[in-house]
Amino acid sequence: MDKFDGTVRINKKTTNILERPLNKGRNEVHISSFALLFSEIVQYSQNRVTTVADLQTKLSDMGKSIGSRMLDVLVLREKGYKRETRIINVLLFIKTTVWKSLFGKEADKLEQSNDDDKTYYIIEKEPLVNKFISRQKDKGGLNCAYFIAGIVEEILFGCNFHCKVTAHWHKGTTFMIQFDESVIARDKAFDAR
Amino acid sequence: MTVYNIYIFNREGTCLYYYEWNRRTDCNMPKYEEFKLLHGMLFSIKSFVTRLSPIDGKNSFISYRTNKYKLHFYETPTGLKFVMNTDLAVENIQDTLHDIYNKIYVEYIVKNPLCKLNEPIQSSLFRTKLDEHVKSLPFY
Amino acid sequence: MSRQNSARADGKKVSSELFTLTYGALVAQLVKDFESDEAVNKKLDEMGYNIGVRLIEDLIAKGNVGRCHDLRETADIIAKLGFKMFLGVTPVVTKWSTAADEFSLILENNPLAEFVELPSGHENLNYSNILCGVLRGALEMVQMEVEISFVQDALRGDDTTELRVKFIKRLEDAIPAGEE
Repeated sequence: MDKFDGTVRINKKTTNILERPLNKGRNEVHISSFALLFSEIVQYSQNRVTTVADLQTKLSDMGKSIGSRMLDVLVLREKGYKRETRIINVLLFIKTTVWKSLFGKEADKLEQSNDDDKTYYIIEKEPLVNKFISRQKDKGGLNCAYFIAGIVEEILFGCNFHCKVTAHWHKGTTFMIQFDESVIARDKAFDAR
Repeated sequence: MTVYNIYIFNREGTCLYYYEWNRRTDCNMPKYEEFKLLHGMLFSIKSFVTRLSPIDGKNSFISYRTNKYKLHFYETPTGLKFVMNTDLAVENIQDTLHDIYNKIYVEYIVKNPLCKLNEPIQSSLFRTKLDEHVKSLPFY
Repeated sequence: MSRQNSARADGKKVSSELFTLTYGALVAQLVKDFESDEAVNKKLDEMGYNIGVRLIEDLIAKGNVGRCHDLRETADIIAKLGFKMFLGVTPVVTKWSTAADEFSLILENNPLAEFVELPSGHENLNYSNILCGVLRGALEMVQMEVEISFVQDALRGDDTTELRVKFIKRLEDAIPAGEE
């Protein structure tokens, strides 16, 4: 969207947006509302791209805009402004706090790759976004959970953990998180102290 | 008791779904012809029954019976028609037909964005769930 | 919180924050993709329509709603059942026209627009226009043709958010070929 130019239209009756409490967040909407909205988003995006990879990128980009906003809210509300500095802690934050506030449950599993210290996995048997969308054999394995991958990537990015997050059909859906070399080096430097 | 078959029509009269369990005879015509004639007949019965009613008679048509079988009819406010043929011993099954609408049609067709609403149902998940549901009915 | 979380975990509810932000991401994307605010409004209305024709089945099936006898009953169901069930808010039904063919839905809280501010330069954007489409699609399925518009929007600095619903006509069943 266009840049916000700083003018705030203050309304007599409603409170200024910056003065409203941020810590509500417990409200809920019906799953059908979300499912149908998401399905419209997928169909809209699908009509504007030609490849599955492009579609997944588009979904991931939308997820990112959500991730950056969620991070600020969660750090403020759940963590008392504290941000994680270690890889394992930030991943646990995502597995528990982030997942709970977005999906009402913890992620099913968090694992580290056996043969690559840069790679971690978050495993979710049935992610919310795939609940009503059956896996399509003719769509080259399109996984709409790229939307969630985008959220995760942006949250990690916002915490200064540069990485790439992808979604795969494995044990339900597996989110593969590949950190930058520099992130791993930094984490090791912590251990050396 | 037994269930013979089921038809689901949309508002336009397209037969969205047909399935038979214990149907023993055929009416000797192409299926599309059978669907068209059945829908036309139901439409006529419904409108004439309503017109004939000596008191306010909306939605008063819920079944008819011959001496061989009974046809049950349930229509939603959105114009979907659920039609089930059973033997004569089966009583009022409006609730059963509502359940099929609520628990199977809405869950597996309406909520599946890949299913178009006005086209015949192809979903195998729907077929399986409906089959399970009907086979579990006390009067199946 | 634990109770609500269990409602979420058993798959009936989702966090309204996720919903609001997802909708926001969609609108932001549309604003990027389309030339004018009007085109964005139109697209949102179309998407809403697609959602509405499906939501209505869910509403009728779960709420076990029969046919409405008049527009007042319809308005009541939209507000107290529809909005409540799908968005968790109950708008006030008010401002009936004398012919009883028009009314307003007043939304104290608009879950779509929580923590949203319209950027300048988008004076014609109807941020929540998807709602118009949802209502239009849903009512068309129960054979009511309606016109729906935002007459007030708190996002534009109005006192409240008000949707105006105007009944146009009842759509009749198509008569099957060969019948009279």
